[in-house]
Amino acid sequence: MSPNQRLMVAVGLSILFFVVYTAIFPPKEKLDTQNPNNIVALKDAKKIEPTSTTTSSTDNTPSSVAKTASNDIVTVKADDFILTIDTLGRIASKELLQEKYNTKDNKHAQMIQKFATKPLFIRFMDEDLNKEAKRTPYTANVTTITLTKGEAKKVTLTQKLSKLTVTKELTFYDDGHYDATVKLSKEKRYFIYLGERPKVNKKEQMMAAVGALIYSDDNVLTIIQDGDMEGRKTFTGVQLIASFDQYTASIMYGFKKDTTILVERDADNNPLVYFDALPTMSFHGYIGPKNYDILKSIDPILVNTIEYGWFTFASKPLFAVLAYLHGIFGNWGWSIIALTILIRLILYPLTYKGMVSMQKMKAIAPKIKEIQAKYKSDPQRMNAAVMEMYKKHGANPLGGCLPMLLQIPVFFAIYRVLLNAEELQGAPWILWINDLSRMDPYFVLPILMGASMYFQQRMTPNNFTDPLQAKVFKFLPIIFTFFFMTFPSGLVLYWFVNNLFSMLQQFIVNQQFKNKEDLEKAIKNK
Amino acid sequence: MIRKFLLKLLWLYQKFFTLLGYGSCRYYPTCSEYARINFEKNSLLTAFYHSFTRILRCNQLFEGGIEYPTTKDVQCHPKKLEIDTIKYWLVPTPNNRYYIIKNFSYKG
Repeated sequence: MSPNQRLMVAVGLSILFFVVYTAIFPPKEKLDTQNPNNIVALKDAKKIEPTSTTTSSTDNTPSSVAKTASNDIVTVKADDFILTIDTLGRIASKELLQEKYNTKDNKHAQMIQKFATKPLFIRFMDEDLNKEAKRTPYTANVTTITLTKGEAKKVTLTQKLSKLTVTKELTFYDDGHYDATVKLSKEKRYFIYLGERPKVNKKEQMMAAVGALIYSDDNVLTIIQDGDMEGRKTFTGVQLIASFDQYTASIMYGFKKDTTILVERDADNNPLVYFDALPTMSFHGYIGPKNYDILKSIDPILVNTIEYGWFTFASKPLFAVLAYLHGIFGNWGWSIIALTILIRLILYPLTYKGMVSMQKMKAIAPKIKEIQAKYKSDPQRMNAAVMEMYKKHGANPLGGCLPMLLQIPVFFAIYRVLLNAEELQGAPWILWINDLSRMDPYFVLPILMGASMYFQQRMTPNNFTDPLQAKVFKFLPIIFTFFFMTFPSGLVLYWFVNNLFSMLQQFIVNQQFKNKEDLEKAIKNK
Repeated sequence: MIRKFLLKLLWLYQKFFTLLGYGSCRYYPTCSEYARINFEKNSLLTAFYHSFTRILRCNQLFEGGIEYPTTKDVQCHPKKLEIDTIKYWLVPTPNNRYYIIKNFSYKG
C-alpha cells in the first residue's frame, strides 16, 4: 500500500470507529450546572424581577410574592423525597433523602431555593388579579400524601378569587415526576413559571454549566447559562424546558406545540423561564437528579437535560462506555481503569506495529549511536540524521503525534463526565477514595500521578536545544501534581493508570535496546 | 492576522505543550515544525490541509522519517545572501514544487 492508501485506511477506520461507537452506545445527555455568582438568598429574591416591559409590573413580580410568603398546605412523601406545596400553589420545597445527593456540609439536598421563583407559580397578565391572587391562599383536598413504590397520587389545589377560580391538579409519582393540569374558570392570560434552577451546593464546581435550557422540536438544544442571559427570548414548538445545576434539574415537558416559552433575565442576567399558558393547560414536570436511567424511564426526552457543556459530543459516548463498563464491574473506579485499558487496546494495532519496528531498530542501534555521537553539539541535525536512518531501514520507534493528540479529547471528555454525570457523584473506588467526582482529600493520587510522570520522563530519552524547555520539562511532574490536586480523583486515576501503561510500554522498548547492547558487549568480549 | 496568531500558537505549543508528549513525532521535521513552516510559507488553506494530513499520518501505520514541507512560490529577493542570513533552502521537487529545508547555520 502506498502511504496515501494507508492514510485513507487510517481515516476510514477512525470514522468507522466513531460511527459504530455512537451506534452501539446511543448518545446520552447531561446537564451541568454551576455558578459561583449567587450567594445570598435575599439577593435571589431581589433578582427575580422580570425586566420585560409589557407583561409585568413591579407589584406583580414573583419577588414580591416570594416575600409574601407561604405556608405549606400539602406534603408529599416518598421513599426518596419529601415535597411541599405552599399557599401560593407552588412547589415550595423538595428534599432528596438519599445520602449520595447530600450537600458538602452533609445536609439533604434541597432542590428548590428558599427565596426564589418556584415551580408552578402563576402570574396573571391582569395586575389587579395578581394582587388578589397574592392575598388569596390556595386550598388543597389533602394535607399529606405518602407514595409507595410505583404509586401515583393526585392532589387538587384550588384558589377562589372573586371572579375566577384556579384549579391545579397535580399527580405525583414516586420516581420524582408529576403531571399537572391547570384550569381557569374564565379565560384570562396568565403565565406558569418553571422556577429558578436548583442550587444544591452554595458554591458550584468550576466549569460545570448552570442555567436554563430549552429543547425544541427540531432537536435544537438552547442552553442559557447563568449570567449570560440577554434581553428576552421566545420559543415555540418546545419539547422541554429545564433549569439546572450541576447534577439536578427542574424540568417541564409535554407541552402543546403552540405553547410559547419565554425566557427573561433577572438582575444577575440569569435566565428565568416561564410560558404563556392556555385556559386549560396540561404538562408534565420533573424535579430531581439528572440520573440517566431515571430520566429515561420517565420519558426518553428528559435525557436531553444531561449536558456536558460544549464537549457533550465526546462526553456523551464516553459516558455510555463508562456506564456499560460499570454494568460489568459494578464500580466506577474500576470502570475508569477498564476504560484506560480499552483505549490502549484500540490503539494496540498501532502499538504492535511499533513493537515490530522496534525489532528492526535493534539492527540499526549501533549506527544511531554513531550519529548521536557525531552530532552531539547539534541536536537538530542529529534528529534529521536519525530520522533518515529510520526511514532507510523501515524502522521507527516513536509513537507519533496522532495517538498523542487523541489523548487530549479523551482526557477532556472524562473530565466533563466526572464533573457532570450525576451517577459518578459519591462513587467510591477503593481504600480512601470515596468520591471519584471530588478531589482526593489526602492528595495520594495526585502525588502518585506526579511520581509516575517523573519516572516515565526518566525512561524516555530526550534532548533539548533550549535550556528553558529542559527546565520546564524537569518541573512538569511537580507542576502537574499541583495542577491535579483539586481535580476529580477519577480523572487523576485515569491519568495515573495511563502513565503506568506508558511506562510499561517504554520499559519493554528500553529492554529491547538493552538486550541488544548486552549482546554486542558479549560478542566483543569473546 | 490569523496567520500571525496561528504561528504564535504553534510557537507556544513548541515551547511548552509539546513537553507533555515530548519526542513522539515520527517525522523530521516534527509535525509542529512542519505546520509552522507551512503556515509561514503557504496560504492558510494549503497550510492547514498539509498540517492536518501530516498529523493524521503521524502514527505507527506510517513509516515516518524525513518529510519536508513544500511550497509553490519562490518570491524572496533577499538583499543579503550569506550562509547565516538564509533561513530556508528551497530545493525543487519532481512535481514543480520546492522542498523547504531549514538552514542550520541561520542566525536570526
